[in-house]
Parts: sequence; C-alpha cells; structure tokens
Amino acid sequence: MSVLNNAIEFKSVFKTYGDNTVVDNLNLSIPEGKITVFVGPSGCGKTTSLRMINRMVEYTSGTILVNGEDNTARPAHELRRSMGYVLQQAGLMPHRTIVDNISTVPRLNGVSARQAKSQALELLNTVGLDESFAKRYPSQLSGGQAQRVGVARALASESSILLMDEPFSAVDPVVRADLQKELLRLQSTLGRTIIFVTHDMDEAILLGDYVAVFARGGRIAQFGTPEEILREPADDFVASFVGRDRGMRRLTFASGADVPIHPLDAQQTPWQQWQLNVEDGRPAGWRIDDRVIPGGSLFVAGGTLRDALDSVLSSPSGWGVVVNEQGQVLGLLKSDDVLEATERERLNRYGVSA
Amino acid sequence: MNWLQSNLQHVGELTALHLLQSIIPVIIGTIIAVPIARFAMGRRRDGRSTERTTSAGKLRRGLVINSAALLYTIPSLALFVLMPLVLGTSITSLLNVYVALTLYVIAMMVRSAVDAFDSVSPVTLEAATAMGYRTTRRFWAVELPLAVPVMIAGLRVALVSNISMVSVGAVIGIQSLGTLFTDGLRRDLPAEIITGIVATVLLALVLDRLLALLGSFLTRWRTA
Ligand SMILES: Nc1ncnc2c1ncn2[C@@H]1O[C@H](COP(=O)(O)OP(=O)(O)OP(=O)(O)O)[C@@H](O)[C@H]1O
Ligand SMILES: [Mg+2]
Repeated sequence: MSVLNNAIEFKSVFKTYGDNTVVDNLNLSIPEGKITVFVGPSGCGKTTSLRMINRMVEYTSGTILVNGEDNTARPAHELRRSMGYVLQQAGLMPHRTIVDNISTVPRLNGVSARQAKSQALELLNTVGLDESFAKRYPSQLSGGQAQRVGVARALASESSILLMDEPFSAVDPVVRADLQKELLRLQSTLGRTIIFVTHDMDEAILLGDYVAVFARGGRIAQFGTPEEILREPADDFVASFVGRDRGMRRLTFASGADVPIHPLDAQQTPWQQWQLNVEDGRPAGWRIDDRVIPGGSLFVAGGTLRDALDSVLSSPSGWGVVVNEQGQVLGLLKSDDVLEATERERLNRYGVSA
Repeated sequence: MNWLQSNLQHVGELTALHLLQSIIPVIIGTIIAVPIARFAMGRRRDGRSTERTTSAGKLRRGLVINSAALLYTIPSLALFVLMPLVLGTSITSLLNVYVALTLYVIAMMVRSAVDAFDSVSPVTLEAATAMGYRTTRRFWAVELPLAVPVMIAGLRVALVSNISMVSVGAVIGIQSLGTLFTDGLRRDLPAEIITGIVATVLLALVLDRLLALLGSFLTRWRTA
C-alpha cells in the first residue's frame, strides 16, 4: 500500500468559522489513480475538506499538497482549472448548450473552439450520451442526464484529479445505480484520482478503493479499504456508523460464483406449483394457479453473495433467478445453497475450518 | 381623418422626436443603472457559501435601492422644470427631457437589475468559479447573460412608461407626440388629440413587442 504515490496530502489542516472548528487537524494522504470516498454523518466537514483542495474554501492553517505542490503556490483559478469538480446539482450553465458546457474549462485554458467541440462530442459518448444531446440546453435534460454532462465537463479538464461532492444523491435509486456502475467503468479505463463525498455507506463501499470515515469536527475516524473498515471498525463511532446492515454489506466482498445453479425445473415438486415465465429467454415473473407475479431481483452470474442472497429473499417462489449479462435466464438459486455459502464465507473470513 | 391626412408629415416628425426622447434615456439609463445595481449587490455569496453576506453589504444595498425609489417619486413635470436650472439649458431644450427621463430609467432599472442579479442561481455562479472563472469574466460570461430575462422585463416597463412620460414635456413646449394633445386642446381639434393618443399607444405597443422579441432572442435557452 505504501508503494502508491499520493496525489493529495492534507497536513495538519484546520478550518474555523469564528469559534467553530469545522476541520480539526486533518492529516490524510490520498493515493493516486484510486477512488477515495469521504463518508460520514451530515455536517462533519466532508464538503469543507473537499473544497479546500481546489480552494473553494480557504483553510485557516496547515498545508495541502496537490501532486507534491502546495495548492496555494499558484492562483486559485489556475488550480481550479487543473481539476474537475462535480457538484450535487450538476450546476450546468443554463444559457449554454451541452457541448459548450462540456467545453468550458478547455475554452478557459485557451483551446480553440473547434478542438474543444470535437473533444466535447467524444466525452459525450464517454459518459453514455449520444450526439443528439450536443445542441440541447440543460433545461431539456433529466437529472441523471444532467449529472452525466456534469461528469463529462469535469473530465474535459484532462486533469488527473476529480472532485465529486454527492454527485448522485439528487437522482432516483435506479438512475443512481446506473451512474455508479458507469463511474466504475470509466474509472477502470481512465484511472484518475477521484475524491468522492457521500453519506451513503453502501455507495462508499461500492465505489471506494479507500474510504475515509469522518467524525464530527472533520476528524478522520478511520481510513482504509472498505473491507478493512467493515471487518475491523476502528472505534465505536465507526462501528455504529457502519453498523446497520453490516453483515449484509460484508457479503458484498464475497463472490456468489460458487453457489450452485439449478436447472429451471429443479423447483418443481408435487407440493410446489411455482413456474418461472420465460419470454425471449428473459425471466418474466412467476406463475402460480394462473396468476403471474412479478419476479424479485435478478442475480447476474458472477455477482456478489449479497446479490445472490437478495435474489433468493426477494423472489416470490423463494428461488433466485440467475441471468447472464444480457439478461438471459441461466438457472435458479436455492436459498439453502446461498446460506451455506454465507456460512463458508464467515468461516473463511476468520480462517477457521468447519 | 382629414386632419391627419393634411398633417401627416408633422405627425411623422413628432413621432420621430417622441421616439428619440423615449429610447435614448432608456439606453443611457440602463447602461448607468446596471453597474450601480451590481455594485449594490456586493460580493456574490456562493451556493454552499464560503462568505456570508456582511451587514455592510446589506446597508449598501438598502441605500441604493431606497434612493432609487425616492428619485422615482419626484413628479416628472417638476423634474422637467427643474432641469434648466440645474443644467443651465433653455426651458425647451431636448436635453432637459433626456436627463430627466434618464434619471427615471435609472430609478426603475436599478431596482429591476438588482432583482435580475438576485435571480441568478448561486449554484451556477459557484460552479463557474469552481471551473476556474475569475470574477470579471464570470460576470460577463455567466452572471450578466443569466440576468437578462428579468432585466428585459424591467426594461419593457421602463420603456413603456417613458413613452407616456415624454408627452408631459409638451406642457413646457418640448416637441413630441404630446404636442398634439396640447395643441389640439388649445385649438379645440378632437382629431388632433385622438391622433396623438393613437400614435402614442401604437408606438408603445410596437416598441414593447420589439423589446420582447429581442428578449426571447437573448434567452433562447429558457424556452428551448
Ligand atoms: N460558510 C460557513 N460559515 C459557517 N459555518 C459553515 C460554513 N460552511 C459550513 N459551515 C459549517 O461547517 C460544518 C461542516 O460543513 P460541511 O458542509 O463540510 O459538512 P458535510 O460533512 O459536507 O455535511 P453534509 O453531509 O450535510 O453535506 C457544518 O457544521 C456547517 O454548518
Ligand atoms: Mg456536504
């Protein structure tokens, strides 16, 4: 872990508003090319800490190094152009078209209009929007689309650092899951240093290579990989913050790959009449006594044990449905098998043999 | 109708004069009012606020808005008569109208420009700063264009009320469509008075429409 270079280092950073100390002696090293998530209860100084990096908030004392250089060494506006920033409400310029919005920072940096535009069109594709969006105005986008444009705009700065402050918290859960997946996909090819603020522990676990748990007063209660934090919370505060659903969350790190997949007719017994409806190879609810009941969550083969358990628990028939990436049915999961797998995971985790 | 036909050229000239006297003050007044309004706002607070509005800022803002309101309460006729004394011009000089009406436009537009700047979302301004805009460029590229919709609304009110106020100048002998009222009254010519009224209303309608068109052109992004 120490072989990683640090993109950003906080050294004894303080921020006070009057008598109110909001960030209290923050020391933190943020590794390069990874996603580091700031998580913690409301008002604990996550946003303040994030905004001190690009000097949207000026700190009271201490030092922040960005790529080894003091972030006060150059003018604030230059520093800001050198890193992307995604806000909670996308914060797009309402009077500019989508391409122009994405081109903002390159244009400020003196890139020609033409070059900035062709780069913007590429980025539009990168974030999964097609080129018909280019000439639209922000008021014509849904929240999720606007947030994608916000990400594209941040990527356009071509900086290695991306600051994201609760970027997905204003969209509905389905869109949020989409955007999260998309971010991970992007990051796997871009490898930027991303600092991501959230107060959703699930989001932190899903996205973070590293998680910094903040306690009130901008104190870091724990810094580590999500798995470390779930396995060994540093103190009672972290334990209670991670607390609820901790057992479920831990299953996120266990693979559901070795849970056996049964054929579709495996669940048919004389006393159980559930039958999986399949249309074009895709699951389409469960049938019982001429009634069709919508199915539960699907387990995509190769997913986590948490997904596997959820597919079983949410299924009306008690059998989880396994699909491939394309959504084609592969087979069924049996709840006993899944529970057995969680048992194996538990023994494994503590290095105990059964 | 006969009256109008034989006086078409005269009415045309008066319309041109009226137009000049109503448009020039609107342009000059707006150019003066917008910086005053922006100054009154002081430093804009960012969305997730780094700075809070200071009490000095509030005081300045209140002072500017209230003086503008006060200015507006001076009767226009009094202002027209007062101008020659202040400016040293002759009582029938066009300059009196220009200066007096410019003052009115300033009084009206300061208020609506303050509202206009207020209407710009702090989140957008904050985003602009975070992208790396410096204050001056942010003003021209982001803040001002976004303030246009509300400003245009104020401008339309100012222009229409200006068109009606220009007529008052006729009482002290300054030529405009208002001259048709004073002259028509004196000579007991209803046709002349009616022509004056109709011409003034038409002028107001046409200019207001043009301004509205300009507004929707400048704010395509809102309705798009
Ligand atoms: N401009 C300001 N003046 C005074 N206090 C402020 C200012 N900005 C933030 N604070 C205070 O600093 C503390 C930390 O705020 P911050 O926004 O960093 O919290 P956060 O962890 O991002 O919370 P949330 O999850 O609600 O976004 C809060 O108590 C807040 O009231
Ligand atoms: Mg916050």
